[in-house]
Amino acid sequence: MARSVWKGPFVDSYVLKKAEAARDAGRHDVIKIWSRRSTILPQFVGLTFGVYNGRKHIPVNVTEDMIGQKFGEYSPTRTYYGHAADKKAKRK
Amino acid sequence: MSDDRICVGSIGGSFGVHGEVRIKSYCAEPAAIADYSPLWTKDGQQVSIEITRPVKNGYSATMSGVSSKEQADALKGTDLFAERDQLPALPDDEYYHADLIGLTVLDTGGAVLGRVKSVQNFGAADLLEITAPGLPTPALLPFTLVNVPTVDLASGRIIADPPEGIFPEADAD
Repeated sequence: MARSVWKGPFVDSYVLKKAEAARDAGRHDVIKIWSRRSTILPQFVGLTFGVYNGRKHIPVNVTEDMIGQKFGEYSPTRTYYGHAADKKAKRK
Repeated sequence: MSDDRICVGSIGGSFGVHGEVRIKSYCAEPAAIADYSPLWTKDGQQVSIEITRPVKNGYSATMSGVSSKEQADALKGTDLFAERDQLPALPDDEYYHADLIGLTVLDTGGAVLGRVKSVQNFGAADLLEITAPGLPTPALLPFTLVNVPTVDLASGRIIADPPEGIFPEADAD
């Protein structure tokens, strides 16, 4: 069942504090978080979070299209190496 | 085998009884494997393939020099390689994973940070997985213009300006 709208999105409070501190400081450091369950909020756009996957922190550059998703969706807990083949990477 | 060849697929075995093979494609667009034909095997044999239909986990294809089920079965597990030159040219700031893997990563001061092991994408942005002898676990560096200002394929190196917290020695937490 979906979460009730009146509650608002769930975010661990320490994530909000860390994000606010990083934004105020104007630094571009990786903000290490362990809260995979927190929702990505509009004020996180432009920040880089290091989301823990049980072993290490995966850097996640937050963009507008991620709003409403959970941090854990961008930090898989299982390792998979495919083949490079003709796959491309774009520098943004 | 030439270093300029890239593994684009493998043969999963025979398909049917008329000498067709089952091909597993590793390409970003799976059907594109046929565009790189003729392909090469690891022992330097050239083969041309033609896809006949999509099947579960891949494609069935006819292959030059294979006309029976027994011949197709014997090729099970064979990797298929394409010449690097066959891949189409890319616009600026776009790179093939195969070109990035193995490049040396230097910081802006010229110190060696490591070597690119793989390129990952978990949905947020492309990440360079960098290994170095001193690193306990590989570091993941977002492949952005800010973090990676220079990619020099000719000289085989990347200039990186990693934010604090990417490499373990810079950890403050």
